[in-house]
Amino acid sequence: MEIGDFRLLAPEISLLGCVLLVILLDLFIKQKRILATVSIAGLIVSAGFTLVMWGTPPVVILSRTLAVDAFALFFKFLFLVVAALIILASQDYVNKFERFQGEYYALVLISAVGMMLLAAATDLIAIYVALELSGISLYVLVGFLKDQKSSEAGLKFLLLGAVASAVLLYGMTLVFGFTGRTCLMCIADFLQGMPATGILDNLALLLGLILLVAGFGFKIACFPFQMWVPDVYEGAPTPITAYLSVASKVAGFAVILRVFFVALGAPDWMSLNWGMLFAILSAITMTVGNIVAIVQSNIKRMLGYSSIAQAGYLLVGLATVGMATGSDTSGQSGLIFFLMSYAVTNLGAFIAVIAISNKIDSDAIDDYAGMGRQASLLAVALTFCLISLIGLPPTAGLIAKIYIFSGAVRHGLLWLVIVAVVNSCISAFYYLRVVKVMWLGVPPSKEKVPSSWALRTALAVCCLLVLLLGVVPGSFVSIAETATRFFGS
Amino acid sequence: MLYLRATFFVIGGPDYLLADFGYIGILLIIAVLFTVSTLLLPLTLALFGIVPKKSNPTKVSTYECGMETIGKTWVQFNFRYYFFAILFVAFDVLTVFLYPWAVNLKGLGVYGLAVIVVFFAILMVGYVYAWFKGALEWK
Repeated sequence: MEIGDFRLLAPEISLLGCVLLVILLDLFIKQKRILATVSIAGLIVSAGFTLVMWGTPPVVILSRTLAVDAFALFFKFLFLVVAALIILASQDYVNKFERFQGEYYALVLISAVGMMLLAAATDLIAIYVALELSGISLYVLVGFLKDQKSSEAGLKFLLLGAVASAVLLYGMTLVFGFTGRTCLMCIADFLQGMPATGILDNLALLLGLILLVAGFGFKIACFPFQMWVPDVYEGAPTPITAYLSVASKVAGFAVILRVFFVALGAPDWMSLNWGMLFAILSAITMTVGNIVAIVQSNIKRMLGYSSIAQAGYLLVGLATVGMATGSDTSGQSGLIFFLMSYAVTNLGAFIAVIAISNKIDSDAIDDYAGMGRQASLLAVALTFCLISLIGLPPTAGLIAKIYIFSGAVRHGLLWLVIVAVVNSCISAFYYLRVVKVMWLGVPPSKEKVPSSWALRTALAVCCLLVLLLGVVPGSFVSIAETATRFFGS
Repeated sequence: MLYLRATFFVIGGPDYLLADFGYIGILLIIAVLFTVSTLLLPLTLALFGIVPKKSNPTKVSTYECGMETIGKTWVQFNFRYYFFAILFVAFDVLTVFLYPWAVNLKGLGVYGLAVIVVFFAILMVGYVYAWFKGALEWK
């Protein structure tokens, strides 16, 4: 074991150090705002390490359990940015819980460390440990408000998450049992050595792979595993809902990309099968998400179903990756660009919801009436993010959809793209209803909606990124293309 | 991590591994046979009349050679025990890692010492946290 390996883990180690510092400081400091500052500082330091390492040749460290490649570094940076924005956006919200503010920041950071490791993990055991590290902190955070809804959400999330982990572990044991390896590159080698139809004869191995899809499917909330989303999103503290819907989902897609297209993507005919599996899941996921979202009256539930629908669009990217052959990475880069745009857009929408709901103390869409006059800037920001979620110009959502759908069409998934476009039209209905209520509704009072500078900064950053991704996507596309470089691909 | 690494080298290939599963299969068969035969043994002996059939209330009672339960069995434990239970689990895990390290202290060298110190420090943060939050006091 090389000591030098740990140098390559600087982003994670520095962030973990920051977590320990936050926990210890929390015991002695009365002024809890300082903890938020320390957390942000830790995230910036970690992001700095990540940026410095960007562009270094890909390596695997610690006995082939973690990869340091462009793919991992990109996702690490994304998680750090999301965590920082979440902490900024929580500044108004944390006053709701008198106690345990330090724990709140520490848990957000710990789950960020878990997701960073998840994006880098190249070994089934490391993947599981990272998944649980981010998962367990999120279970606690979901139940953080300790009122009835929040506790129920936390318990539901814990139980369903535990079942999903069990399913995932069972899949992993089957894969390990029949390949004899836990590291993804070694599994790929083993599968390449198998006769071409070997995997279909080996039903147990196939079952293992399907259970892996189920386990990761819970994390990204794709079709048959999406039941937990509305209740958990509604009950959780709103910043944590945003965190779940953005970071946790992105982490799920990162790990699926790595597992399925490093370990299991080797024989061409097999990736083809995965492509079709993901394509069918994608069509069902987006339709279910969009149709159920129409009847929602609570904005957090609506955004929950909308995030299921967005997972459906993201799965179009996975299907494209499965369909593509050879060195064509347009599927991967499209997916990564979509993840980027989805992260900033959804985060922006949620931050605006945090600010508005904090004031009116309600998550009902009808109570948003007249927000256009009461809080013009927040309403503009929310409208902008919702437009981006539909995929209208001049926003990130449009470019992301064009990018991901054009890749899918090129690989013979025209039917899926037609389904997705029809779905986008359906989604316009419920997104625009919120916009209509905000701008055309009559406000119950003329009172302004206050928000802290921290929250406004976070919202401004999100909206600016949504605009930049939509207007000058060129440099972001090239980042996404660089980020498709896995170790071992 | 050292143990992980060791695993990678020990497991040569799938055949090696399937043979290992074979041992588990044999153990499973022995376990089933043992259970079934111990259950069947008294029945068989009774069938051939080797053991006498003299039943009395003490003999057929559930705890023939144990203590009678006093009071209700659904006793509620004080929930404060859970702090101690959690702390115990944390330090139990620490011991699980300390023992193998202590046994191979020389072999693991400075690197092993550093890893254990870091691990210990992280757990200590948890201990300090529990202490300052008053989890160790019985109020």
